[in-house]
Amino acid sequence: MRSLCAILGIISAILAVVLSALPFFNMAFIPAIAALIFGFIAFYLSKKQNLTNKKVQLIFLLTIIALIISTYKAIFYEAEIGNTDALEVREEQGKENALDELDNIEITE
Amino acid sequence: MTYLFRILVLFSIVSISAQNNAFQEDEKLVFTASYNMSGLMTDLAEVRMETSLVNTSKATLLRLKCTATTYSKWDNFFKIRDIYESYVNPKSLAPYLYQRDIDEGGHYKFVKYNFDYKTNTVKSLRRQKSDNFESGFWDRNDNIKFNSGTKDLVSTIYHIRTLDIYKANVGSRDSFTILFDNKETEITLTYLGKETINTNIGNKECYKLAINVSNSDVLKGNNSNVLWLTADENKIPVFAKFKVAVGNGELKIKSVSGLKN
Repeated sequence: MRSLCAILGIISAILAVVLSALPFFNMAFIPAIAALIFGFIAFYLSKKQNLTNKKVQLIFLLTIIALIISTYKAIFYEAEIGNTDALEVREEQGKENALDELDNIEITE
Repeated sequence: MTYLFRILVLFSIVSISAQNNAFQEDEKLVFTASYNMSGLMTDLAEVRMETSLVNTSKATLLRLKCTATTYSKWDNFFKIRDIYESYVNPKSLAPYLYQRDIDEGGHYKFVKYNFDYKTNTVKSLRRQKSDNFESGFWDRNDNIKFNSGTKDLVSTIYHIRTLDIYKANVGSRDSFTILFDNKETEITLTYLGKETINTNIGNKECYKLAINVSNSDVLKGNNSNVLWLTADENKIPVFAKFKVAVGNGELKIKSVSGLKN
């Protein structure tokens, strides 16, 4: 049980770290919380059985890293649109083509 | 992103007439499009709606332009650069030319509709990239008959804003027809009442409208797709919630400028 929780905790923590580095960093909170839960269970069982808890330390370390990165991004990250140069060229071309198409249009009221 | 646009559009109307007191040229509305990822709303793209006047040799038309651009963090995953525009009669908002120029994750598509009101036909051009043709594009031309009152996606969005919604009773419905993907699609809008919501441009009393699409798999659920228009003369679309086959999302107003009232 202790090993299972530790393994699940490590997997969740690694997933949280990976997600925190990606654009969908918001999703890192879910595995991070799961990692914390598994970590606490593994920690409790380790203490009860008087065993070492190196894996638990690793879980907490990774989870804290993931939470710090995700929280930092959530607070300070300003969403900015990417390069729109090509879009602007297409907009201008679209307008020119449209004006050619519409040149002889007579509006009916 | 195609969904986002369809949705904005599909959030049409409660007809009852209309003179355009809602917007004018040089108006600019900026939205944030978000998508629900595992229960967390994630900002995905910026949607802009802009108006401007264009002069041809014989007429002055209103250009209604919508663009969608993914935020830079998403560009490496799924880059979207979409343009939807409509050239309309400034008074009646009847469309004369509609252009859809989309580039979504490398998938390119161009659609053009020329509306001819003398024959009630639309000359349609659909263009996609193809290695099978020397030009690099595959073109398909069609002529489509349309019913009176049919509009394109973009002009429908703006048309919604010109409606006298204050005359509608709660629960009243109306239907509208949009030409999309060379097919006429009927949408039904239901007026759900007024609601005050907090937006980036302040607390706004809004008309709450639910939209349903007939014979389409674009929008899911009954009254799951809702649009909030400010309950003033401008009828700014400040918030929209939508549910599609692959999840649900939101459109939130970010900034406005050039308002008529």
